[in-house]
Amino acid sequence: MNTKFSDYFSFKLVWDRFPELIKKIPITLELAGLAFLVSVVVGLLIAVARYKKVKVLAKIATGFLSVMRGTPMLIQLYVAYYGIPAILKIFNSWGANIDVNIIPKIVYAFIALGLYQAAFTSETFRAALESVDNGEIEAGTAMGMTYGQILKRIIIPEALENALPGIGNSLIGLIKGTSLASTCGIIEITYQNQILAGRDYRYLEGYVALAIIYWIITVIFERIFKFIEKKIKIPDQPKAVEGA
Amino acid sequence: MAILEIKDLHKSFNSNVVLDGVDLSVNKGDIIGIVGPSGTGKSTLLRSINLLEKPEKGTISINGTQLNLPVKGKDRKKISELRLHTGMVFQRFYLFEHKTALENVMEGLVTVRKLPKEEAKAAALKELENVGLLEWQNHYPKHMSGGQQQRVAIARTLAMKPDIILLDEPTSALDPELVTEVLNTIKSVAEQGYTMLLVSHEMDFVRKISNRVLFLDGGKIIEDGTPKEVFDHPGSERAREFFEKMRGLKEPEFYI
Repeated sequence: MNTKFSDYFSFKLVWDRFPELIKKIPITLELAGLAFLVSVVVGLLIAVARYKKVKVLAKIATGFLSVMRGTPMLIQLYVAYYGIPAILKIFNSWGANIDVNIIPKIVYAFIALGLYQAAFTSETFRAALESVDNGEIEAGTAMGMTYGQILKRIIIPEALENALPGIGNSLIGLIKGTSLASTCGIIEITYQNQILAGRDYRYLEGYVALAIIYWIITVIFERIFKFIEKKIKIPDQPKAVEGA
Repeated sequence: MAILEIKDLHKSFNSNVVLDGVDLSVNKGDIIGIVGPSGTGKSTLLRSINLLEKPEKGTISINGTQLNLPVKGKDRKKISELRLHTGMVFQRFYLFEHKTALENVMEGLVTVRKLPKEEAKAAALKELENVGLLEWQNHYPKHMSGGQQQRVAIARTLAMKPDIILLDEPTSALDPELVTEVLNTIKSVAEQGYTMLLVSHEMDFVRKISNRVLFLDGGKIIEDGTPKEVFDHPGSERAREFFEKMRGLKEPEFYI
């Protein structure tokens, strides 16, 4: 029997996959963006609770981190997918009136992804907060600044420089993590690829195309974060003065 | 007239008593040198005056603002008033790393004194000139020597126009060759009529610039007088021993 290379792998098919896959990039980015928002907000709250050693909150946060880091992302997605409706149904049985079916699937996915990532982002934030010299906080206090002012004008700007690489990694991790959301029935690019491959059984070409797309997206975001990092870093030169 | 009045100040860290009933009255324009062995409460005394440490007992009054200790919830306004009356220069400078020299000096003027930016900038430039660092205004702390950083920190303190300046071992973290420039800056500040409390191990300098010297030991002021009285004729054995030891340190122990 006469077989050709293209029977096993066709570059043309890889190319042909792109237009159909690209259509679903907005869903992937929307999911990653929302999850990122959740991870930053929750991560910051956990970090501050642990940084300021707020007693009960810090304990709860530590327990939460342990669970989130100690269980697979996929399992967490399933727990959210089946668990959130279950909780709502229990509320309903107590007299609440929430239509469980009205909640889009993407909500379960971005909450689960966001909480998972928050566990890691919070440690980035905490390390960044702790990197700010306590003496600078004292200097601000001694000159009469309130803690709010010190937080806003000293701690956060300085911590941000240290946190930014970690925040960038967390967004990139989330973009890749969205592919797991296909298991919750969200038609983002991974699920889209499975639908397409189901028609012609060309799985390999589809996954290669998919890998290229994920790679391009993450490289773009990497570049963006590098650019912001450069902007935010304490310059190696004296500050340029307008008009000088 | 006393600008600062401290009565019966007590402060412990856990079971370790650091201030054991300190009474002190400081007049306007006084330059007070505070000396004594390590761990006798010199820094804690300074840091209690602006409430970076919270003593358990006693009273502190500066320029009419009186705070009775221990600190209670309603004292927040009083504490910030006391902090406005005082300015502190730290051993390790503690400049804001992400701000330029100029921005460091402007910070308190803008956020605490609420001056318009232009006004704050003009005032800050004046203070940087005062410490001889006008050309360094746009440099970040990490690009300055320790001596320069400390002078910026002094400018930052002066800009707030405090009634009392608290200097907590301002030259102890510096390389030896940088100590002189900072001492010269402190000297010129002292000559401008500021009231200063200076904790230092630079005995010659303390003797030269202060009009009054305190010797602390075991959380108490055990010597209080003119530099001549305290350094040359200390009443206590403890002080005599300490000064002898300090003098001994100046004799080279090793010859190359």
